[in-house]
Amino acid sequence: MRRIAGLLFILASAAFSIAALSLESAPNASSLPEPQIASEQNLAVVVNLSNPVQNLSMPELRRIFLGERSHWPNGRRITLVMMEPGQPERAVVLRDICQMNETDFNNHFLHGVFTGEVLVSPKTLATPVGVRKFVFNVPGAIGYLRVLDLDPSVKAIRIDERGPEDKGYRLHVPPRSSK
Amino acid sequence: MNGQNKRARKGTLAGPAAPLDRVLALASPYNSSLLLLIVFFLVTMVGLFVIRDLHATNVEAQKMYAGSVQGLQRIGELQYEVQETRRSTFYALTTNDSNLQLEYADQSREADRLVNEGISEYLRQARMPHEIEVGRRLQLDWSGYLGVRNEVLASILEGSTKEAVNLDLKGGVPSFERVRQDLQEIKRLYDEQASQQLANVAATSRRTIFRLIGVLGITLALASASVWAIQRSKMLGAIQLAKLQMEFVASVSHELRTPLAVISSAADNIADGLVGGKDQLKRYGSAIQNQCRQITELVNQILLFASTKEGKNRYTLRPLQVSRIIDAVLDNTAELVQEIGFVIERRIESGLPCVMGDLSALSQCLQNLIVNAVKYSGESRWIGIRAFVHDSEERSCKEIRITVQDRGMGIDRLEMPHIFEPFYRGAAVMAAQIHGTGLGLSLAKSIAEAMGGTLSVVSELAVGSIFTLHLPIVEKQESEMASVTSKPDPSIRT
Repeated sequence: MRRIAGLLFILASAAFSIAALSLESAPNASSLPEPQIASEQNLAVVVNLSNPVQNLSMPELRRIFLGERSHWPNGRRITLVMMEPGQPERAVVLRDICQMNETDFNNHFLHGVFTGEVLVSPKTLATPVGVRKFVFNVPGAIGYLRVLDLDPSVKAIRIDERGPEDKGYRLHVPPRSSK
Repeated sequence: MNGQNKRARKGTLAGPAAPLDRVLALASPYNSSLLLLIVFFLVTMVGLFVIRDLHATNVEAQKMYAGSVQGLQRIGELQYEVQETRRSTFYALTTNDSNLQLEYADQSREADRLVNEGISEYLRQARMPHEIEVGRRLQLDWSGYLGVRNEVLASILEGSTKEAVNLDLKGGVPSFERVRQDLQEIKRLYDEQASQQLANVAATSRRTIFRLIGVLGITLALASASVWAIQRSKMLGAIQLAKLQMEFVASVSHELRTPLAVISSAADNIADGLVGGKDQLKRYGSAIQNQCRQITELVNQILLFASTKEGKNRYTLRPLQVSRIIDAVLDNTAELVQEIGFVIERRIESGLPCVMGDLSALSQCLQNLIVNAVKYSGESRWIGIRAFVHDSEERSCKEIRITVQDRGMGIDRLEMPHIFEPFYRGAAVMAAQIHGTGLGLSLAKSIAEAMGGTLSVVSELAVGSIFTLHLPIVEKQESEMASVTSKPDPSIRT
């Protein structure tokens, strides 16, 4: 019995020490920033400067990115620009806008082109700079870029009335690896 | 004698070049320098014109290079970049790779940026209204083409190759053709400018060549004239010198003949026993003595002149009292002056400072002036000697002036420049048959200059002459020493 009591005491002490250590090394909960996502980590949907569209709803955006809408209100043909598979920005678009995985997305377009349901086939570019230049050059283009990659040559549109710098914006992309 | 002289002079100057010879004779010692100066001046003047032409040609060539040649170069570059803009757009058509298409689009946009810069540069440098008009038209046409180019690029990137080609054929080709024509027009303008400037350069070069030929011709002609004039002048000088020497020999012979005749006649009379009595013999001896002294003086003058010309004279300069010099000279000439009943008015300022000089030489100098005054005074028989201090304007200091004045025949204005020349004897003097060698004034001037002074003359015909010996004043200390050590100098008796 004594042995059991001694063992329990040792275990309790050890547990207490570990708890104390973990409390010491952990940051003070009260000093933590709000669990906010820095706006630099948001993913902006961009269009050509000549495009009059300022805001799109998420369902409209989904239709555009799935190639189900062919023209802008000004009559310009929509050209969809995607980054190459494996890029985190593309993954966010597939997940949050198209709500598909890579395979489903590819199948959707293969099937859509075959049946004629899909009106726009996406252009694939390697880098954010390429996306930006493409959108700059093509009046009907739509693509996506990290907020950090934005510049005045393209225009970021609002999604459900929220811009990429606004609170509650829905498209977040993980930070780039530092290597 | 005077008639012969005139005849001889006329003989020398006879012929077609006589007026020129007169001019050369007047300009005598300066003619070569004068001619060379004129040549230099004329050549410099024409040379300045040539330099101005060369400068104008250079400026014209620089303007042509900066304007037309560089303009043509810029237009060439502009044409290349215009083609590059279009070429890069077409390259984008050759691939389906969007990344590659974007690279071509970038190249096209970079080229179009350079074209825009080139057009702006052209407009900035354009001055003529037509140039500005063409430049603005090019700017407008280029903007029109770029609008089409952007549409074509967009179509290519969207993947609509057919649409891109249609757009280019419909809008791109005509607008690009307009741009090409504008560039051709600008090139033509630059060509015209270059041709005009080239013609200007050619004209200026031709003018420069003509002027250079002119300069060379003038230089050659003037140089030949100068050489001829110098040679002619030297020849005239040599003839003049020979004539003067002949006159000198004649004059010296004449000067010697008179005393020699007296001596010879006296000697003959004594030898023939025509002279009787001690008094008569004494009178003959005195006459021979006087004539011998005259001959000796004459020979001394000639020897002194010869030594002066050869630069053999070595003067011993020391501080001298002016009154002492004048006294010595008056002593030496007393006999001559008294013989012919001359009055000498002597006015010497009291307390005159000493002058630096050789007593013997200065005495000789003043003696020559007094002897001349005696010779040329005519009937007036008056000589004035003055010594005073004067502020010299030329030397900007004080100097001693010793003047010898006569009221005789005076000197002609035309003869004034020549009276200090050796052997020179004036026409009036020759006409009056006044004997002399023509060396007295030349010697006096040489001596004055050797003493650091000068000899000047003021004269008026039939009024008289004033010869002035200008001598520098000695420093005070040396002057005091001179007054202490002053005593009669035996060397003053020449």
